[in-house]
Amino acid sequence: MLSIKNLSAEIDGKKILDGLELEIKAGEVHAIMGPNGAGKSTLSAVLAGRPEYVVTGGTVTYMGKNLLDMSPEDRACEGVFLAFQYPVEIPGVSTTNFLKTAVNQKRLYNGLEPMEATDFLKMMRQKMELVEMDKSLTGRSLNEGFSGGEKKRNEVFQMAMLEPNLAILDETDSGLDIDALRLVSNGVNKMRNTERSFVVITHYQRLLDYIIPDFVHVLYKGKIVKSGDKELAKELEVKGYDWIKNELEAAV
Amino acid sequence: MLAEIINSNFNRYASGAEKDLFFETRKQAFEAFETMGFPTQKNEEWKYTNIKGVTAGSFEMSDERPAHAKTIFEKSVLNEIKANQLIFVNGIFYPDLSILLEKDKSIVLTNLANARTEYSELFNRHFSKYAKTEEHSLNALNTALLNDGAFIYVPEGVKPEYPVIINHYIDSTHINVLVQPRNLMVIDKGAEITLIETYESIGFNASYTNVVSEIYVAENAHLEHYKVQQQAGESYHTNFTQMFQESNTSINQVTLTLDGKLVRNNLHFYMNGKNCNSLLYGLYIIEKQNTVDNHTRVDHAQPNCFSDEKYKGILKDQSTAIFNGKIIVHLDAQKTNAYQRNQNVLLSDEAVVNTKPQLEIFADDVKCTHGATIGQLDEEPMFYLRSRGIPENEARKMLLNAFADEIAERIKIPELVELLEKKIEEKL
Repeated sequence: MLSIKNLSAEIDGKKILDGLELEIKAGEVHAIMGPNGAGKSTLSAVLAGRPEYVVTGGTVTYMGKNLLDMSPEDRACEGVFLAFQYPVEIPGVSTTNFLKTAVNQKRLYNGLEPMEATDFLKMMRQKMELVEMDKSLTGRSLNEGFSGGEKKRNEVFQMAMLEPNLAILDETDSGLDIDALRLVSNGVNKMRNTERSFVVITHYQRLLDYIIPDFVHVLYKGKIVKSGDKELAKELEVKGYDWIKNELEAAV
Repeated sequence: MLAEIINSNFNRYASGAEKDLFFETRKQAFEAFETMGFPTQKNEEWKYTNIKGVTAGSFEMSDERPAHAKTIFEKSVLNEIKANQLIFVNGIFYPDLSILLEKDKSIVLTNLANARTEYSELFNRHFSKYAKTEEHSLNALNTALLNDGAFIYVPEGVKPEYPVIINHYIDSTHINVLVQPRNLMVIDKGAEITLIETYESIGFNASYTNVVSEIYVAENAHLEHYKVQQQAGESYHTNFTQMFQESNTSINQVTLTLDGKLVRNNLHFYMNGKNCNSLLYGLYIIEKQNTVDNHTRVDHAQPNCFSDEKYKGILKDQSTAIFNGKIIVHLDAQKTNAYQRNQNVLLSDEAVVNTKPQLEIFADDVKCTHGATIGQLDEEPMFYLRSRGIPENEARKMLLNAFADEIAERIKIPELVELLEKKIEEKL
């Protein structure tokens, strides 16, 4: 599904990613952990195509295509979804209209007719149940005045509506209380299947109690320095990142 | 030169006119205009707006009654609103095309020329009493050489069932025209009305439209007022609207500037009584090398009044916007609440905004804020929309619509909102 080779990227001339390697197969859940400033959010930004990040080297192949050549909107239409760490409030754009446009743009891209209004509303209702999102939120402006938890639920709701092949969750657990965390994780778990892959970026092991990963990677100084299974996350929780840092320095 | 054309037109008018009070008012106005002349950029109020295109141009005043006025009106979107419609072409009233729906015959919906004789008492009491001619040369010019315009009187406690739309068509099919519409509206005590003033162009020659509207709002009355400027092409449009509010009145005013080579709106509110509520909202969308200049002035002359102002602009190409908003809180106007904001989105590197929010406060117990922003569309919302598969162009349109929406939602007539949305779609 996704093959990242020797990826380097910078922002404002500052190198953040430095030779990152990652292979993700269909249906897998990969957790990416690491200390602050390791490059976790940069990785998600580069995969989603955020314009201010400059890729200086390496390749990203997604379903056989060069992902880095595509505009952000084309990536989305090809099935890449980024759940934002800080979802943006957009006053004046209603959640419903926004989603209708997004869903139909993706259909248009894939040569399908726009969805009938009734089918669309039915789909909305079903997907909202997934994260137990309040119906009143969809009539309001996108994320405007939403609580932190509502915003994150809205991200997972959008993900459910757009049915991506590859979903990247950028610190979706940040700012969530335990109930919201459970709701969001349940939503994600219900979407797991053999076709769909996830990249779960998180600072803390806590989220991985709910979304059980197949692989755990530690990102440090712009590259993956250690990979393992879910036990690695638990080990990190106990020992902290210094353990990895020390191990690396000892090796040098 | 326009000044000479004006001079000879006034002399022609003066030689045939009855020498009554109306004539005296106009003569004085003409003399005031002669003294002041057209505003130049040396005048602080006109620093960023150059009307050389008007003053160096050649325009004629026309008495011709264009035959195609009917077709034009029928094509207009505002025609679809169930409303009383007053139709003027080049300042000439078309009673045969106008539509009067009100059953209550105490409501006066007519033209100014008719009101001068038929409602002379009202006319003399209010005409040229609010829009000052001694400070504003274009007001003086309008008063001296006005064509015709709407006269509306809503008697005490009356609430007309339908809005009133004042349609001014400016027809430059055959010649460059100079048209000076003059509207006078008197809303008596406790009355409530919705007024729409619209300016549309016909033909491709140049036109200069110089409007004055005076609106008197008596105690406890409420006014919804929308001004829509959509004259296109080589249209120069200057407009002076003076609201005069007595106590316990409320006004919701929206100014939409959707087209025109050069548009200057002067919108002045004078709160002459306590507990007034004045809302002023504006939206301008400018393209090419066009200029839109909004000058507003809110005079808080009495205590306990509230005003809220928000003007928003979208600028394309090499266009220029000017915003100058004055709030003047007079010495007696304690407990004033006044807010003012101007926000601009630039869609091109070559567009220019000159914005100047201004507060002059002479009272000591007041709450006032003002501010202005100029910028491009934010990148964060743009990326958010694109990351959901929405193409850049579509995303930009959504965000600009959302930007405009804050003003659109102040308009209580759905057809007018639709017209606005259609215009935005066309322009963007």
